[in-house]
Amino acid sequence: METATAHVTHHDHVHGHEEHHHEEETFLTKYVFSQDHKMISKQFVITGIFWGIVGGLLSILFRLQLGWPNETFPFLETFLGKWAEGGKISQEFYYALVTMHGTILVFFVLTGGLSGTFANLLIPYQVGVRDMASPFINMLSYWFFLSAGIVMFFSFFIQTGPASGGWTAYPPINGLRDTAVNLGSGLGFDLWILGMTLFIVSSLLGGLNYIATILNMRTKGMSMFRMPLTIWAILFTAVIGVLSFPALLAGCVLLEFDRLLDTSFYLNNIIINGNLLGYKGGSPILFQHLFWFLGHPEVYIIILPAMGLVSEVLATQSRKPIFGYKAMVFSILAILVLSFIVWAHHMFVTGLNPNLGAVFTFFTLLIAIPSAIKVFNWIGTIWKGKVRLVTPALFAIGFVSMFITGGLTGIILGNSAIDIQLHDTMFVVAHFHIVMGVSAFFGMFAGVYHWFPRLYGRYMNETLGQIHFYITLLGAYAIFFPMHFMTGLPRRYYTYANFETFNNFNFLAEFISIAAIIVFLGQLLFVINFFYSIFKGRKVLAEKTVDGYDYANPWGTTTLEWSAPIERLHGNWPGDIPTVHRWPYDYSVNGREYIPQTEPLKPGEVSHD
Amino acid sequence: MNLTLSEQDLLREKTEYTGVHPQKFALWIAMASMSMFFAALTSALLVKKGDYRSWEGFRLPMVFLFSTVAVIGVSVCIHAALISYRKAKFVQFRWLMFFSFLLGCLFLALQLKGWGVMKQGGMTITENLSGSFIYVITAAHGVHIIAGLVVMLVFIVHAFRNRKDPIYELRDIINPKRQLNLELLVSYWHYVDAVWVYLYVFLYLNYR
Repeated sequence: METATAHVTHHDHVHGHEEHHHEEETFLTKYVFSQDHKMISKQFVITGIFWGIVGGLLSILFRLQLGWPNETFPFLETFLGKWAEGGKISQEFYYALVTMHGTILVFFVLTGGLSGTFANLLIPYQVGVRDMASPFINMLSYWFFLSAGIVMFFSFFIQTGPASGGWTAYPPINGLRDTAVNLGSGLGFDLWILGMTLFIVSSLLGGLNYIATILNMRTKGMSMFRMPLTIWAILFTAVIGVLSFPALLAGCVLLEFDRLLDTSFYLNNIIINGNLLGYKGGSPILFQHLFWFLGHPEVYIIILPAMGLVSEVLATQSRKPIFGYKAMVFSILAILVLSFIVWAHHMFVTGLNPNLGAVFTFFTLLIAIPSAIKVFNWIGTIWKGKVRLVTPALFAIGFVSMFITGGLTGIILGNSAIDIQLHDTMFVVAHFHIVMGVSAFFGMFAGVYHWFPRLYGRYMNETLGQIHFYITLLGAYAIFFPMHFMTGLPRRYYTYANFETFNNFNFLAEFISIAAIIVFLGQLLFVINFFYSIFKGRKVLAEKTVDGYDYANPWGTTTLEWSAPIERLHGNWPGDIPTVHRWPYDYSVNGREYIPQTEPLKPGEVSHD
Repeated sequence: MNLTLSEQDLLREKTEYTGVHPQKFALWIAMASMSMFFAALTSALLVKKGDYRSWEGFRLPMVFLFSTVAVIGVSVCIHAALISYRKAKFVQFRWLMFFSFLLGCLFLALQLKGWGVMKQGGMTITENLSGSFIYVITAAHGVHIIAGLVVMLVFIVHAFRNRKDPIYELRDIINPKRQLNLELLVSYWHYVDAVWVYLYVFLYLNYR
């Protein structure tokens, strides 16, 4: 009797769903103003790819200048006009390139693109919910992200060019609207602030949705310690974002007041062409505090989701339970807490009280502990596993390699005494590019290759993927490893021609530039692969068909995302949401390759959590 | 009711883990976020007050005390409106919402008056950092009030437009989505009101 009723309700539900399916989705609601988490995820990933190409291209342009400072490239004038007269990138444009490269990659690709894509895709699928707490706010989050991007992109096409005072937006140079001081500090920087404000709104709307969904709406049986590490990472990332972005917003509000209404929050006794301007009493260091109160947690906003994706991919692809699950969770938590109390390590040379510097050094070095625990656990996970060396696994392993390499130099830079020598040199550039730039990209690539079948019902091309991996791995080391040895070479300089001692780095600079161009071209393989596979990739084949819906589990994962049909459904599951009975890492146990989370415990079997 | 699939699920699964509706929970997180914003502004004030030698102290204009009273009035009024909505007293609900709106506008007017008083006393926005901070903090808070007023207006228009149609009103009250939205609005107002009380006390202590 009971089964019969259950069957009837189940049937009704499917039927009701079918009706919605036909009734509600028009082209506009399905592809453009979509409130479906999966479609929003696709919007984020494609926008992220667009920004990745733009941000990468900017770096190629300034690498041309750095690698061959005495050459001219006539084709540049064709494309860039007055920004590259005579085929040589102008000084103003060089600084704009550096600034926008940083802004775009840090915020638009590795924050918006990474968190936006995977939080939207994985939260509902992996915790078992039909959509976010507020699908409408979720849609707004994407549209704010997109409009932020449009504003930023627009700034490339104005007379005075985009912002060019560094991605950190430091005053005083960015506090004055006078384009005679700095071309990019005019309208370009106003657009930067507007773009960033829209971006912050997007990030907050997204973040509060992620947190509310994870904490409130998990399916039956999905206790916190049965959540995959991806979800833990996304949860803590969102918490960091929600608490730290407002500080940047406050900093930007004060900055814009200085610029538009001539207040003096950050400006003091500025002299331009011999004239003393009326600003009194401000302190640019105040901005640095507000900026880095976001700026440092920001690097964890970037790296934590990548860590989550890598944990999941490594466990799945090496067919082994994640090593030290709870240690992983508490490590992320420790990183969250520490991320808020280390911001002044970016400010050791600002005249910060040395005793305070010692405190910040101490907390900074403490971060090595949870980071090392995580690295140990990743290696422990693949140790003696049956690792399938497919593209996502390769990228996940590459992530661990990059993270170790970049992390080691972090320990060096975290010391206030050593940092005084290394501050603003290429050593710093090498460190943060490897540890958060390249690593996060590796995590993101691992995620995209791994969950592409879930997004589009097709696989990405494996051969192209592997070529992409080796080019990126070797290329990224070729770019950033030599930078460690460019001793004392200051970053952000247009040319080093006036400093004879740096002449011996000319070869390295050229080498790095060539490597950068190759790596950039290698990324185009990924882009081609991505868009080709959406339409022509190998299809995910149905393993079983229930009630007219096809199901598959291409990687043999235990988590819930493949308990939903291959087809994209608004609501994810045609029937009831599955119930969870076990933790997400039952790989190679009880003589089986994997046991899905939905499978009830056998009599006598003890639940892992 | 014409609910989408996800809305049906929201209603069914809303209180499983925390006992709070997820959207209300999301609002709390937004409140934490907004608190960080005002914390950043007020701590910037403390830092500058501490390290700027020519910080010009002055007394906080009395008007801001009146605006504090107005904003507390909004909270009382809108909460009473929520209670009458729950009891299906729609006439009372409409007018209480309307009064809340008026009080909110009065608050903004008093804030502007406060700026006027400061300006008259020679403390323009560029005169001294001590004044600039008050302008920025009140403006940043004012934006939050304006956002709340806009949403409130949507509710008021809806309530007055349907006043001749009791069936529609009854449908409103059994629509949990609508009641939830009202609760969210009321919580938001309590929050921005509380923020102003905090800001007032903070400014009062720093400007006397």
